Amino acid sequence: MRKTRSLINNLILYSAVFLLLFPIVILILWSFTKSWPWPFLLPKELSLRGFQSIIRSGNNMGNVVLCSICLSMTVTILTLALSIPAAKALGLYNFKGKRAVKMLILAPLIVPTVSVSMGIHLAFMKIGLANTFLGVVLVHLLPCLPYGVRILTDVFEITGDKMEIQAKVLGARPLQVFLHITLPMIMPGILSAGSLIFIVSFSQYFLTFLIGGGRVITLPMVMFPYIQSGDRIMASSYSLVFLAASLLLLIVLEKTVKSYYKTENHFYI
Amino acid sequence: MNNLKVKFKPYILLAPALFIILGIFMTGIIIGFAQSLGYFPVIGLRELTLKYYKEILTDKEFLTSLKFSLYISLVSSVIAVITGVALAYLMLHNKHKKGVEQVLYKLPIVVPHIVAALLMYNILSQSGLLPRLLYNLGVINSQQEFPALIFDKRGIGVIAAYLWKEIPFIAMVVYTVLANINDRLTQVALNLGASKGQIFWHVLLPLAMPSIISSFIIIFAFSFGAYEVPYLLGPTSPKALAVQAYVEYSHPDLANRPYAMAVNSILTIISFILIWIYEKSFRILGGNSEEIR
Repeated sequence: MRKTRSLINNLILYSAVFLLLFPIVILILWSFTKSWPWPFLLPKELSLRGFQSIIRSGNNMGNVVLCSICLSMTVTILTLALSIPAAKALGLYNFKGKRAVKMLILAPLIVPTVSVSMGIHLAFMKIGLANTFLGVVLVHLLPCLPYGVRILTDVFEITGDKMEIQAKVLGARPLQVFLHITLPMIMPGILSAGSLIFIVSFSQYFLTFLIGGGRVITLPMVMFPYIQSGDRIMASSYSLVFLAASLLLLIVLEKTVKSYYKTENHFYI
Repeated sequence: MNNLKVKFKPYILLAPALFIILGIFMTGIIIGFAQSLGYFPVIGLRELTLKYYKEILTDKEFLTSLKFSLYISLVSSVIAVITGVALAYLMLHNKHKKGVEQVLYKLPIVVPHIVAALLMYNILSQSGLLPRLLYNLGVINSQQEFPALIFDKRGIGVIAAYLWKEIPFIAMVVYTVLANINDRLTQVALNLGASKGQIFWHVLLPLAMPSIISSFIIIFAFSFGAYEVPYLLGPTSPKALAVQAYVEYSHPDLANRPYAMAVNSILTIISFILIWIYEKSFRILGGNSEEIR
């Protein structure tokens, strides 16, 4: 009785994982396809045509990938720089208006950034931020900040400030305390927050499209028209490049965390 | 003096992040709201009026868009939460969960919504894999017999794409909470003669409720205000609200702008109501669960 029950449980669980993975397998098949007419279940001819035309296309793929990574890295570093002090305040101190501040920082997760960006677009035009790299970086901060602050607040709540106080008592200067005590203690949190922030920024389409005005070209910007037109081979090839780039980054980050701390990388959301 | 420094310290630490939130986020909302009320000096509109709201709220196209967006978010979020919680519970009893955990964790985070849309298009469109499978099994005799699930008025494709992203998200959030609930609570319940079902309904579920509600609100709000998926997989009419807003926004006549902003403001107002519920649900349900854990 117990055995059949756990068998059914596992069956449900693994079919869920299958439903999640199966579309990815189809995506990979499509990206290596030359022709796959109806009603065949497998491609008729395989080729690297999709990837070849990505490399050969006028889009200058290398630059686009580089620009995307550069943009999302900048966003990640800036978000972390803003999130660390904010998370410290929220994690370690009690003060008036704490709840309100917490809600305000989480708000961009719930209020659609699509609407907000249309509101800010004109102001960005006026001060020369529209259609610039900096403008896109600034607007990407909105969907990223809530994740950074939330994860790091949890981290500060767990680590506390006893170690910092110790160091201060022993005569360390604030910068020394930060570099030698605070930073190493919250490093695992910074890396997992950092990878999530990077992914969130790396995936943005609408914000880059609106504020970048076609001048700031990232991977999703190049991919979007192919997905829209239903060009399966090209769209799948681009998507695979995108997924490979983000997975590679995640794995590198996770390895770094593990080698430093021998702990696991968790995305606390 | 020192006391004063301590008092202000959290505010100083928060200042940079709040500067961005207020400077970009709140400013964007306020400018949009002002324009929706007809304050748009760039084209010489300065008088405050509710006429754009009145026109929009009586416009049939807008109302069907609003209904469509609510319907998509509600259906996808409710299914995602129920399935996600069930999966999380199953994972709790699964011994080889490491692999499952890894897949559920990473995949939906790494795959962006536009790619999720492509995945569903590859499977569900009339030339996709599902109709091919049905054809080869002899269930359907031609491509046309397969119902249009993409670009359709019921938004099946859009809902499927959201489910693909959201079910694992909910499963992981709830699983993390369930796995951290003190084992002793379950054991006490077992000792007192509770069945597995009773433990789930009366011990585990209530403790996980705050996280379930907050993640429900996050996915509901996201799908309610998102642009990409309904643009790629949704029907031309009715359009999702965010798509509708951008159509109005990109109208070459600037005098049309206030309509776009009225749509945006309504989206924003509904989101603020959601934030309020989020906050409330934590106060009511989250009050004592921390201690129990």
